[in-house]
Amino acid sequence: MKKFLLPLLVAILCLPSCKSLRQKQANTDTNQYRYEIECAGNAIQGTYLVKVWTYSRNASVAENQCRKNAVHGVIFKGYGGGQGCVSQRPLANTPGIEDQYKTYFDNFFAPGGEFQKYASIMSGTTETVKVGKEYKVGVVVSVRKDDLRKALEAAGVIRKLNSGF
Amino acid sequence: MKKSIFTIVLACVALIASAQIKKPELMVVPSDVWCITNGYYTEVENMGMTTKVPNYKQALQENMGLKLAIAKLNDLMAERQFPLISLEQTIKNLEQRRMEDNMTVSKAGNELAESPLDEVARMAKCDIILELSWEMKDFGPKHSLAYILEGRDAYTGKSIGAASGTGAPSISADVDVLLEEAIVANMDNFNNRLMDHFQEMQDIGREIILDIKVFANNERGIDLESEFDGEELVDIIENWLQVNTVQGRFSRQYSSENVANFTQVRIPTYDERGRAIDANGFAKQLSKMLKQAPYNIPNKVLVKGLGRAVIILGEK
Repeated sequence: MKKFLLPLLVAILCLPSCKSLRQKQANTDTNQYRYEIECAGNAIQGTYLVKVWTYSRNASVAENQCRKNAVHGVIFKGYGGGQGCVSQRPLANTPGIEDQYKTYFDNFFAPGGEFQKYASIMSGTTETVKVGKEYKVGVVVSVRKDDLRKALEAAGVIRKLNSGF
Repeated sequence: MKKSIFTIVLACVALIASAQIKKPELMVVPSDVWCITNGYYTEVENMGMTTKVPNYKQALQENMGLKLAIAKLNDLMAERQFPLISLEQTIKNLEQRRMEDNMTVSKAGNELAESPLDEVARMAKCDIILELSWEMKDFGPKHSLAYILEGRDAYTGKSIGAASGTGAPSISADVDVLLEEAIVANMDNFNNRLMDHFQEMQDIGREIILDIKVFANNERGIDLESEFDGEELVDIIENWLQVNTVQGRFSRQYSSENVANFTQVRIPTYDERGRAIDANGFAKQLSKMLKQAPYNIPNKVLVKGLGRAVIILGEK
Protein backbone atom coordinates (compact mmCIF):
# COMPACT_ATOMS: atom_id res chain seq x y z
CA MET A 1 0.00 0.00 0.00
CA LYS A 2 2.80 2.37 1.06
CA LYS A 3 4.48 1.55 -2.26
CA PHE A 4 1.63 3.20 -4.22
CA LEU A 5 0.90 5.99 -1.75
CA LEU A 6 4.19 7.82 -2.23
CA PRO A 7 4.08 8.07 -6.08
CA LEU A 8 0.40 9.06 -5.85
CA LEU A 9 1.22 11.84 -3.39
CA VAL A 10 4.07 13.04 -5.61
CA ALA A 11 1.77 12.99 -8.64
CA ILE A 12 -0.93 15.00 -6.82
CA LEU A 13 1.64 17.57 -5.65
CA CYS A 14 3.06 17.85 -9.15
CA LEU A 15 -0.27 18.45 -10.84
CA PRO A 16 -0.54 22.25 -10.31
CA SER A 17 3.09 22.83 -11.26
CA CYS A 18 2.64 20.73 -14.41
CA LYS A 19 -0.36 22.83 -15.33
CA SER A 20 1.55 26.02 -14.75
CA LEU A 21 4.45 24.64 -16.79
CA ARG A 22 2.09 23.94 -19.68
CA GLN A 23 0.69 27.47 -19.41
CA LYS A 24 4.21 28.88 -19.36
CA GLN A 25 5.02 26.87 -22.49
CA ALA A 26 1.83 28.20 -24.13
CA ASN A 27 2.89 31.79 -23.33
CA THR A 28 6.34 31.16 -24.78
CA ASP A 29 4.68 29.80 -27.92
CA THR A 30 2.63 32.99 -28.20
CA ASN A 31 5.73 35.16 -27.91
CA GLN A 32 7.38 33.08 -30.60
CA TYR A 33 4.32 33.46 -32.85
CA ARG A 34 3.66 29.70 -32.70
CA TYR A 35 0.02 29.99 -33.57
CA GLU A 36 -1.96 30.58 -36.73
CA ILE A 37 -4.44 33.36 -37.29
CA GLU A 38 -6.88 33.64 -40.18
CA CYS A 39 -9.93 35.65 -41.08
CA ALA A 40 -13.19 34.06 -39.97
CA GLY A 41 -15.59 36.34 -41.80
CA ASN A 42 -16.81 39.89 -41.89
CA ALA A 43 -17.31 41.28 -38.43
CA ILE A 44 -19.45 44.10 -37.14
CA GLN A 45 -17.97 47.61 -37.07
CA GLY A 46 -15.11 47.99 -34.62
CA THR A 47 -14.23 44.29 -34.43
CA TYR A 48 -12.26 41.63 -36.30
CA LEU A 49 -13.52 38.08 -36.46
CA VAL A 50 -10.52 35.75 -36.51
CA LYS A 51 -9.92 32.05 -36.19
CA VAL A 52 -6.86 31.22 -34.11
CA TRP A 53 -5.13 27.84 -34.12
CA THR A 54 -3.09 27.19 -30.99
CA TYR A 55 -0.72 24.27 -30.37
CA SER A 56 -0.32 22.53 -27.01
CA ARG A 57 0.08 19.09 -25.48
CA ASN A 58 -3.06 19.87 -23.53
CA ALA A 59 -6.21 20.77 -25.46
CA SER A 60 -7.72 22.85 -22.64
CA VAL A 61 -4.55 24.97 -22.30
CA ALA A 62 -4.62 25.57 -26.05
CA GLU A 63 -8.24 26.65 -25.92
CA ASN A 64 -7.56 29.08 -23.08
CA GLN A 65 -4.58 30.50 -24.95
CA CYS A 66 -6.61 31.27 -28.08
CA ARG A 67 -7.90 34.57 -26.74
CA LYS A 68 -4.41 35.79 -25.94
CA ASN A 69 -3.13 34.60 -29.32
CA ALA A 70 -5.98 36.36 -31.13
CA VAL A 71 -5.12 39.72 -29.51
CA HIS A 72 -1.39 39.10 -30.02
CA GLY A 73 -2.02 38.25 -33.66
CA VAL A 74 -4.10 41.37 -34.30
CA ILE A 75 -1.41 43.56 -32.73
CA PHE A 76 1.72 41.99 -34.18
CA LYS A 77 0.90 39.60 -36.97
CA GLY A 78 -2.13 40.67 -39.00
CA TYR A 79 -3.82 38.13 -41.22
CA GLY A 80 -4.44 37.25 -44.83
CA GLY A 81 -7.67 37.57 -46.71
CA GLY A 82 -9.46 35.65 -49.43
CA GLN A 83 -12.94 34.26 -50.03
CA GLY A 84 -14.64 37.54 -49.28
CA CYS A 85 -12.37 38.34 -46.35
CA VAL A 86 -10.12 41.39 -46.35
CA SER A 87 -6.52 40.97 -45.21
CA GLN A 88 -5.44 43.23 -42.36
CA ARG A 89 -2.06 44.63 -41.41
CA PRO A 90 -1.00 44.34 -37.76
CA LEU A 91 -1.94 47.30 -35.58
CA ALA A 92 1.70 47.70 -34.52
CA ASN A 93 3.70 47.28 -37.69
CA THR A 94 6.93 48.96 -36.67
CA PRO A 95 9.76 46.42 -36.51
CA GLY A 96 11.02 45.76 -32.98
CA ILE A 97 8.08 47.45 -31.26
CA GLU A 98 7.39 44.41 -29.09
CA ASP A 99 10.87 44.65 -27.58
CA GLN A 100 10.72 48.42 -27.34
CA TYR A 101 7.59 48.24 -25.17
CA LYS A 102 8.45 44.97 -23.46
CA THR A 103 7.29 46.01 -19.98
CA TYR A 104 3.98 47.27 -21.32
CA PHE A 105 3.30 44.09 -23.25
CA ASP A 106 4.48 41.83 -20.39
CA ASN A 107 1.81 43.41 -18.20
CA PHE A 108 -0.73 43.54 -21.02
CA PHE A 109 -0.44 39.80 -21.76
CA ALA A 110 0.09 38.67 -18.15
CA PRO A 111 -2.43 36.11 -16.78
CA GLY A 112 -5.61 38.10 -16.17
CA GLY A 113 -4.06 41.04 -18.04
CA GLU A 114 -5.70 43.79 -20.05
CA PHE A 115 -5.77 41.69 -23.24
CA GLN A 116 -8.84 39.88 -21.92
CA LYS A 117 -10.93 43.02 -22.34
CA TYR A 118 -10.54 42.97 -26.10
CA ALA A 119 -11.34 39.38 -27.05
CA SER A 120 -14.33 37.09 -26.72
CA ILE A 121 -14.55 33.49 -27.80
CA MET A 122 -17.47 32.65 -30.08
CA SER A 123 -19.12 29.70 -28.40
CA GLY A 124 -19.49 26.44 -30.30
CA THR A 125 -16.63 27.18 -32.68
CA THR A 126 -13.88 25.07 -31.12
CA GLU A 127 -12.16 22.54 -33.39
CA THR A 128 -9.50 20.16 -32.08
CA VAL A 129 -7.04 18.28 -34.27
CA LYS A 130 -4.39 15.88 -32.96
CA VAL A 131 -1.06 16.61 -34.62
CA GLY A 132 1.63 14.14 -33.55
CA LYS A 133 2.01 14.38 -29.78
CA GLU A 134 0.15 17.66 -29.42
CA TYR A 135 -3.19 19.24 -30.13
CA LYS A 136 -4.01 21.99 -32.56
CA VAL A 137 -7.07 23.80 -31.28
CA GLY A 138 -8.94 26.31 -33.42
CA VAL A 139 -11.37 28.83 -31.96
CA VAL A 140 -13.18 31.78 -33.54
CA VAL A 141 -12.50 34.92 -31.54
CA SER A 142 -14.02 38.39 -31.87
CA VAL A 143 -11.37 41.04 -31.22
CA ARG A 144 -12.51 44.59 -30.42
CA LYS A 145 -9.85 46.15 -32.60
CA ASP A 146 -11.03 49.77 -32.38
CA ASP A 147 -10.85 49.72 -28.58
CA LEU A 148 -7.57 47.84 -28.72
CA ARG A 149 -6.12 50.40 -31.13
CA LYS A 150 -7.24 53.26 -28.89
CA ALA A 151 -5.60 51.60 -25.86
CA LEU A 152 -2.33 51.20 -27.79
CA GLU A 153 -2.54 54.80 -29.01
CA ALA A 154 -3.13 56.03 -25.46
CA ALA A 155 -0.12 54.06 -24.26
CA GLY A 156 1.99 55.63 -27.01
CA VAL A 157 2.74 52.27 -28.59
CA ILE A 158 1.24 53.20 -31.96
CA ARG A 159 0.62 56.58 -33.54
CA LYS A 160 -2.80 58.13 -34.00
CA LEU A 161 -3.94 58.86 -37.54
CA ASN A 162 -4.02 62.55 -36.68
CA SER A 163 -0.74 62.66 -34.77
CA GLY A 164 1.53 65.48 -35.82
CA PHE A 165 -1.40 67.68 -36.87
CA MET B 1 3.41 91.81 -13.58
CA LYS B 2 0.16 89.95 -14.29
CA LYS B 3 0.08 91.53 -17.70
CA SER B 4 3.53 90.30 -18.64
CA ILE B 5 2.80 86.75 -17.40
CA PHE B 6 -0.37 86.75 -19.49
CA THR B 7 1.62 87.92 -22.54
CA ILE B 8 4.24 85.19 -22.05
CA VAL B 9 1.54 82.50 -21.68
CA LEU B 10 -0.21 83.79 -24.79
CA ALA B 11 3.05 83.76 -26.76
CA CYS B 12 3.74 80.18 -25.66
CA VAL B 13 0.26 79.05 -26.71
CA ALA B 14 0.71 80.74 -30.11
CA LEU B 15 4.11 79.09 -30.53
CA ILE B 16 2.73 75.62 -29.75
CA ALA B 17 -0.21 76.19 -32.08
CA SER B 18 1.98 77.34 -34.95
CA ALA B 19 4.38 74.41 -34.46
CA GLN B 20 1.59 72.01 -35.37
CA ILE B 21 0.85 71.25 -38.99
CA LYS B 22 -2.67 71.94 -40.12
CA LYS B 23 -4.71 68.78 -40.40
CA PRO B 24 -5.22 67.75 -44.04
CA GLU B 25 -8.78 67.91 -45.24
CA LEU B 26 -10.42 65.01 -46.99
CA MET B 27 -13.42 64.70 -49.25
CA VAL B 28 -15.18 61.70 -50.80
CA VAL B 29 -16.29 61.90 -54.42
CA PRO B 30 -17.73 59.15 -56.63
CA SER B 31 -15.18 58.13 -59.26
CA ASP B 32 -15.62 59.08 -62.92
CA VAL B 33 -16.15 55.48 -63.92
CA TRP B 34 -18.90 55.01 -61.31
CA CYS B 35 -20.66 58.23 -62.38
CA ILE B 36 -20.52 57.37 -66.07
CA THR B 37 -21.54 53.72 -65.59
CA ASN B 38 -24.52 54.79 -63.54
CA GLY B 39 -25.57 57.56 -65.91
CA TYR B 40 -24.62 60.53 -63.73
CA TYR B 41 -22.83 62.60 -66.33
CA THR B 42 -23.30 65.40 -68.80
CA GLU B 43 -21.89 65.48 -72.29
CA VAL B 44 -19.73 68.44 -73.17
CA GLU B 45 -18.60 69.41 -76.65
CA ASN B 46 -14.92 70.27 -76.56
CA MET B 47 -13.11 71.12 -79.84
CA GLY B 48 -15.30 68.78 -81.84
CA MET B 49 -15.07 65.93 -79.35
CA THR B 50 -17.81 64.86 -76.96
CA THR B 51 -16.56 64.36 -73.44
CA LYS B 52 -18.49 62.83 -70.56
CA VAL B 53 -18.18 64.92 -67.42
CA PRO B 54 -19.35 63.51 -64.04
CA ASN B 55 -22.42 65.15 -62.60
CA TYR B 56 -21.88 64.92 -58.84
CA LYS B 57 -25.00 66.87 -58.00
CA GLN B 58 -27.26 64.49 -59.88
CA ALA B 59 -25.51 61.47 -58.32
CA LEU B 60 -26.02 62.85 -54.81
CA GLN B 61 -29.64 63.70 -55.48
CA GLU B 62 -30.58 60.39 -57.04
CA ASN B 63 -28.40 57.66 -55.58
CA MET B 64 -29.14 56.64 -52.01
CA GLY B 65 -26.24 54.16 -51.98
CA LEU B 66 -23.77 56.99 -52.59
CA LYS B 67 -25.21 59.05 -49.74
CA LEU B 68 -25.03 56.02 -47.47
CA ALA B 69 -21.44 55.27 -48.47
CA ILE B 70 -20.33 58.86 -47.86
CA ALA B 71 -22.12 58.92 -44.50
CA LYS B 72 -20.45 55.65 -43.48
CA LEU B 73 -17.01 56.84 -44.56
CA ASN B 74 -17.56 60.08 -42.68
CA ASP B 75 -18.57 58.15 -39.59
CA LEU B 76 -15.45 55.97 -39.73
CA MET B 77 -13.12 58.88 -40.43
CA ALA B 78 -14.67 61.02 -37.70
CA GLU B 79 -13.96 58.18 -35.31
CA ARG B 80 -10.26 58.66 -36.22
CA GLN B 81 -10.63 62.44 -35.75
CA PHE B 82 -10.73 63.12 -39.50
CA PRO B 83 -14.22 64.36 -40.37
CA LEU B 84 -14.70 64.69 -44.12
CA ILE B 85 -15.64 67.78 -46.09
CA SER B 86 -19.15 67.44 -47.47
CA LEU B 87 -19.27 67.12 -51.26
CA GLU B 88 -22.90 68.18 -51.26
CA GLN B 89 -22.17 71.39 -49.36
CA THR B 90 -19.17 72.12 -51.57
CA ILE B 91 -21.33 71.83 -54.68
CA LYS B 92 -23.84 74.25 -53.18
CA ASN B 93 -21.05 76.72 -52.42
CA LEU B 94 -19.68 76.25 -55.92
CA GLU B 95 -23.03 77.05 -57.48
CA GLN B 96 -23.22 80.15 -55.35
CA ARG B 97 -19.77 81.22 -56.52
CA ARG B 98 -20.63 80.54 -60.16
CA MET B 99 -23.72 82.69 -59.78
CA GLU B 100 -21.59 85.48 -58.34
CA ASP B 101 -19.03 85.09 -61.14
CA ASN B 102 -21.75 85.31 -63.76
CA MET B 103 -23.00 88.50 -62.20
CA THR B 104 -19.59 90.15 -62.47
CA VAL B 105 -19.30 89.04 -66.11
CA SER B 106 -16.12 87.62 -67.64
CA LYS B 107 -13.78 90.40 -66.68
CA ALA B 108 -10.65 88.80 -68.08
CA GLY B 109 -12.03 85.84 -70.02
CA ASN B 110 -10.25 83.54 -67.58
CA GLU B 111 -8.55 80.61 -69.18
CA LEU B 112 -8.20 78.40 -66.13
CA ALA B 113 -8.75 74.94 -67.48
CA GLU B 114 -10.14 73.05 -64.54
CA SER B 115 -12.02 69.78 -64.57
CA PRO B 116 -15.16 69.59 -62.40
CA LEU B 117 -13.12 67.64 -59.85
CA ASP B 118 -10.38 70.29 -59.78
CA GLU B 119 -13.00 72.93 -59.33
CA VAL B 120 -14.64 71.06 -56.46
CA ALA B 121 -11.27 70.31 -54.85
CA ARG B 122 -10.16 73.91 -55.11
CA MET B 123 -13.44 75.17 -53.73
CA ALA B 124 -13.35 72.72 -50.84
CA LYS B 125 -9.61 73.38 -50.35
CA CYS B 126 -9.27 69.70 -49.55
CA ASP B 127 -5.87 68.08 -49.54
CA ILE B 128 -6.92 64.55 -50.29
CA ILE B 129 -9.71 63.28 -52.51
CA LEU B 130 -11.13 59.85 -51.79
CA GLU B 131 -12.53 58.39 -55.00
CA LEU B 132 -15.16 55.77 -54.46
CA SER B 133 -16.45 53.13 -56.87
CA TRP B 134 -18.43 49.96 -56.44
CA GLU B 135 -20.19 47.50 -58.67
CA MET B 136 -22.47 44.54 -58.06
CA LYS B 137 -21.36 41.29 -59.68
CA ASP B 138 -23.67 38.33 -60.18
CA PHE B 139 -22.59 34.71 -59.84
CA GLY B 140 -25.75 32.75 -60.63
CA PRO B 141 -28.22 33.44 -57.83
CA LYS B 142 -25.50 34.99 -55.68
CA HIS B 143 -24.13 38.46 -55.99
CA SER B 144 -21.14 40.19 -54.48
CA LEU B 145 -19.84 43.70 -54.39
CA ALA B 146 -16.54 44.85 -55.89
CA TYR B 147 -15.32 47.95 -54.11
CA ILE B 148 -12.50 50.47 -54.65
CA LEU B 149 -11.59 53.41 -52.46
CA GLU B 150 -8.63 55.33 -53.83
CA GLY B 151 -6.99 58.31 -52.17
CA ARG B 152 -5.46 60.96 -54.41
CA ASP B 153 -3.37 63.93 -53.43
CA ALA B 154 -5.40 66.93 -54.59
CA TYR B 155 -2.16 68.85 -55.15
CA THR B 156 -0.50 66.52 -57.61
CA GLY B 157 -3.20 64.03 -58.53
CA LYS B 158 -0.88 61.24 -57.46
CA SER B 159 -2.38 58.15 -55.86
CA ILE B 160 -1.79 57.82 -52.14
CA GLY B 161 -3.12 54.33 -51.86
CA ALA B 162 -6.22 52.29 -52.39
CA ALA B 163 -8.30 49.72 -50.62
CA SER B 164 -10.14 47.35 -52.88
CA GLY B 165 -11.64 43.91 -52.99
CA THR B 166 -14.65 41.78 -53.74
CA GLY B 167 -16.87 40.79 -50.85
CA ALA B 168 -18.19 37.32 -50.09
CA PRO B 169 -21.05 36.26 -52.40
CA SER B 170 -24.49 36.51 -50.88
CA ILE B 171 -28.01 35.55 -52.00
CA SER B 172 -30.05 37.77 -49.73
CA ALA B 173 -28.00 40.87 -48.85
CA ASP B 174 -28.79 43.97 -50.89
CA VAL B 175 -26.31 46.46 -52.32
CA ASP B 176 -26.49 48.88 -49.38
CA VAL B 177 -25.68 46.16 -46.83
CA LEU B 178 -22.80 44.83 -48.95
CA LEU B 179 -21.48 48.34 -49.52
CA GLU B 180 -21.46 49.12 -45.80
CA GLU B 181 -19.76 45.79 -45.13
CA ALA B 182 -17.08 46.53 -47.74
CA ILE B 183 -16.41 50.01 -46.35
CA VAL B 184 -16.05 48.74 -42.78
CA ALA B 185 -13.80 45.85 -43.83
CA ASN B 186 -11.49 47.95 -46.00
CA MET B 187 -11.19 51.13 -43.99
CA ASP B 188 -8.29 50.07 -41.75
CA ASN B 189 -6.12 49.18 -44.72
CA PHE B 190 -6.93 52.48 -46.34
CA ASN B 191 -6.14 54.41 -43.17
CA ASN B 192 -2.79 52.64 -42.91
CA ARG B 193 -1.86 53.99 -46.34
CA LEU B 194 -3.16 57.40 -45.41
CA MET B 195 -0.97 57.36 -42.32
CA ASP B 196 2.10 56.51 -44.42
CA HIS B 197 1.28 59.48 -46.67
CA PHE B 198 0.86 61.86 -43.71
CA GLN B 199 4.17 60.72 -42.30
CA GLU B 200 5.86 61.36 -45.64
CA MET B 201 4.22 64.79 -45.90
CA GLN B 202 5.43 65.73 -42.42
CA ASP B 203 8.92 64.51 -43.20
CA ILE B 204 9.51 65.86 -46.70
CA GLY B 205 6.69 68.36 -47.41
CA ARG B 206 3.95 68.58 -50.01
CA GLU B 207 4.64 67.76 -53.63
CA ILE B 208 3.85 70.27 -56.39
CA ILE B 209 4.72 71.01 -60.02
CA LEU B 210 6.21 74.35 -60.98
CA ASP B 211 6.53 75.60 -64.55
CA ILE B 212 8.45 78.70 -65.59
CA LYS B 213 7.61 80.22 -68.97
CA VAL B 214 8.61 83.35 -70.86
CA PHE B 215 6.38 85.85 -72.70
CA ALA B 216 7.57 85.88 -76.30
CA ASN B 217 9.14 89.16 -77.43
CA ASN B 218 8.84 90.72 -73.99
CA GLU B 219 10.01 94.30 -73.63
CA ARG B 220 13.09 93.52 -71.54
CA GLY B 221 14.17 90.66 -73.74
CA ILE B 222 14.30 88.34 -70.74
CA ASP B 223 14.54 84.60 -71.15
CA LEU B 224 15.75 81.77 -68.94
CA GLU B 225 19.26 82.05 -70.35
CA SER B 226 19.58 85.75 -69.46
CA GLU B 227 22.61 86.24 -67.24
CA PHE B 228 22.86 88.04 -63.91
CA ASP B 229 26.37 88.30 -62.49
CA GLY B 230 27.46 85.62 -64.91
CA GLU B 231 24.76 83.20 -63.81
CA GLU B 232 21.86 82.10 -66.02
CA LEU B 233 18.36 82.87 -64.78
CA VAL B 234 17.34 79.21 -64.80
CA ASP B 235 20.25 78.41 -62.48
CA ILE B 236 19.28 81.29 -60.19
CA ILE B 237 15.76 79.86 -59.97
CA GLU B 238 17.17 76.40 -59.33
CA ASN B 239 19.36 77.75 -56.53
CA TRP B 240 16.32 79.44 -54.99
CA LEU B 241 14.43 76.13 -55.14
CA GLN B 242 17.37 74.35 -53.56
CA VAL B 243 17.12 76.66 -50.56
CA ASN B 244 13.35 76.94 -50.30
CA THR B 245 12.18 73.36 -50.89
CA VAL B 246 12.18 70.81 -48.08
CA GLN B 247 15.61 69.15 -48.00
CA GLY B 248 16.27 70.67 -51.42
CA ARG B 249 13.95 68.13 -53.06
CA PHE B 250 12.89 68.89 -56.62
CA SER B 251 13.68 67.72 -60.08
CA ARG B 252 14.32 69.79 -63.22
CA GLN B 253 12.44 67.78 -65.80
CA TYR B 254 13.10 69.99 -68.81
CA SER B 255 14.54 73.38 -69.49
CA SER B 256 15.24 75.57 -72.48
CA GLU B 257 15.56 79.31 -72.97
CA ASN B 258 11.77 79.65 -72.89
CA VAL B 259 10.53 76.93 -70.54
CA ALA B 260 11.63 75.19 -67.36
CA ASN B 261 9.57 72.41 -65.80
CA PHE B 262 10.23 71.48 -62.19
CA THR B 263 8.51 68.37 -60.86
CA GLN B 264 8.44 66.60 -57.50
CA VAL B 265 8.97 69.96 -55.85
CA ARG B 266 8.55 69.39 -52.13
CA ILE B 267 7.28 72.58 -50.54
CA PRO B 268 6.97 73.22 -46.80
CA THR B 269 3.40 72.77 -45.53
CA TYR B 270 3.58 76.20 -43.88
CA ASP B 271 5.36 79.45 -44.54
CA GLU B 272 7.46 81.31 -41.95
CA ARG B 273 4.32 83.00 -40.59
CA GLY B 274 2.60 79.68 -40.00
CA ARG B 275 0.14 79.98 -42.88
CA ALA B 276 -0.62 76.95 -45.01
CA ILE B 277 0.84 77.31 -48.48
CA ASP B 278 -0.04 75.63 -51.74
CA ALA B 279 1.60 75.79 -55.16
CA ASN B 280 0.26 79.32 -55.67
CA GLY B 281 1.70 80.58 -52.37
CA PHE B 282 5.06 78.98 -53.08
CA ALA B 283 5.18 80.35 -56.63
CA LYS B 284 4.37 83.83 -55.32
CA GLN B 285 7.43 83.70 -53.08
CA LEU B 286 9.60 82.95 -56.10
CA SER B 287 7.77 85.59 -58.14
CA LYS B 288 8.49 88.16 -55.42
CA MET B 289 12.19 87.31 -55.41
CA LEU B 290 12.38 87.73 -59.21
CA LYS B 291 10.60 91.09 -59.09
CA GLN B 292 13.11 92.46 -56.60
CA ALA B 293 16.57 93.86 -57.34
CA PRO B 294 18.94 92.90 -58.81
CA TYR B 295 16.67 90.95 -61.18
CA ASN B 296 13.67 93.31 -61.47
CA ILE B 297 11.88 90.86 -63.74
CA PRO B 298 8.17 91.57 -64.17
CA ASN B 299 6.20 88.32 -64.04
CA LYS B 300 2.81 86.84 -63.34
CA VAL B 301 1.69 83.73 -61.50
CA LEU B 302 -1.02 81.50 -62.93
CA VAL B 303 -2.75 78.96 -60.72
CA LYS B 304 -3.58 75.51 -62.06
CA GLY B 305 -5.25 73.75 -59.15
CA LEU B 306 -3.69 73.25 -55.75
CA GLY B 307 -0.55 71.51 -56.87
CA ARG B 308 0.56 73.26 -60.00
CA ALA B 309 1.62 76.85 -60.64
CA VAL B 310 3.05 78.61 -63.66
CA ILE B 311 5.22 81.72 -63.52
CA ILE B 312 5.41 83.67 -66.77
CA LEU B 313 8.40 85.99 -67.03
CA GLY B 314 8.82 89.21 -68.94
CA GLU B 315 5.53 91.00 -68.47
CA LYS B 316 2.81 91.41 -65.89
